[in-house]
Amino acid sequence: MTSMKILIVDDSITIQRIITNALKTVGFPDTIVAANGKDALEKLTNVNVDFIITDWNMPEMNGLDFIKQVRANPIYSSLPILMITTRGTEHDVIEALQAKVNSYIVKPFTPQELKEKIEGILKTVQVNTV
Amino acid sequence: MNQQELDGILQKAAELKVFCEYGQRTVPVLDEISSFVKEISPAIEDLRAVVEVSMVNIPKAADQLGRVTQATEQASTDILNTLDRMVATLDEIIGSVASGMISSDLGAATKKMAAIVKTLVDKSGWDEDIVKLAEAWDIHLQSLRMSGPTSNLERLLKDLQSDCTEIMMALQVQDITQQHIGAVMGTIEAVAEGLRKLTTGFFSTGMAENLPPLPSMSIRFEQENVGEAERKKMVESLLSKARAGQL
Repeated sequence: MTSMKILIVDDSITIQRIITNALKTVGFPDTIVAANGKDALEKLTNVNVDFIITDWNMPEMNGLDFIKQVRANPIYSSLPILMITTRGTEHDVIEALQAKVNSYIVKPFTPQELKEKIEGILKTVQVNTV
Repeated sequence: MNQQELDGILQKAAELKVFCEYGQRTVPVLDEISSFVKEISPAIEDLRAVVEVSMVNIPKAADQLGRVTQATEQASTDILNTLDRMVATLDEIIGSVASGMISSDLGAATKKMAAIVKTLVDKSGWDEDIVKLAEAWDIHLQSLRMSGPTSNLERLLKDLQSDCTEIMMALQVQDITQQHIGAVMGTIEAVAEGLRKLTTGFFSTGMAENLPPLPSMSIRFEQENVGEAERKKMVESLLSKARAGQL
């Protein structure tokens, strides 16, 4: 178990709950949720978040725009971001990476895959900060 | 008749010549237009019928897809709620079973106690009270055995929890299908919008109503040699359309 607080950004309540439960089973029980990028930016101002998991297709502010906003803000720019989405073309992935997402999962995913991605990102972030 | 009047006649003759030449050139074009309109008229009529049906059916189809999405989302929420309750119950049972494990350890101690009681029975020369105590220990031991292999039960319960997680993860299909349906709905709505524009911008401008008579109008022009005024009007009308880029 880790005390890392993870912000889950997804407009689907089903997916919010699935990711929350999956994170709990792999040892990340401390989570908060946001329904879209705009909502997530508000949450970021009120809560100390250590990690972000975001969808791409969302109303009001999509995941890609949200990532760009986060990266443009010096306070949050170094936050690790994992994108979980149904968009799976090469072009999509490249676009997400150009927006500086740390990693990318195409739905559907397993709790184990989620765990490995998070741990992989955390390792990279640690290496870069050392 | 003076020179000025002669020049005037020559001028008029030249204009007439230009008009005739123009007529000779435009009549084949009008023939072509007439044939074209004649050919496409049935197709336009068919298209109009398709558009009319589509304008009713497309919003209906989009609405039905929307309902499918809502229904699957509701079903997913219900399943997730049930799974949450199941996982919580399993947590509780696993906790109880873990306590049962302690009882099982105590059972080993109880067995040891039973052996001591048996020794006591032997040593007491089968004293009645000691024998009753031994029997009570036997019953107690049997009840402990009945509690079963708790470690195996705990494993099975954890397997059930794992199955619950798998079911939960499988519900991602709801979101995936919802997003694909959303994309299809977007396409359908774009088609509907295109058809709507076609309907309002083309069929309902009066042009649609005029389309079937158009070929006969042209044919009438060709075959009946309508009067000068009418022809002039028609020529001017076509010239205006040409200037407006409508031909």
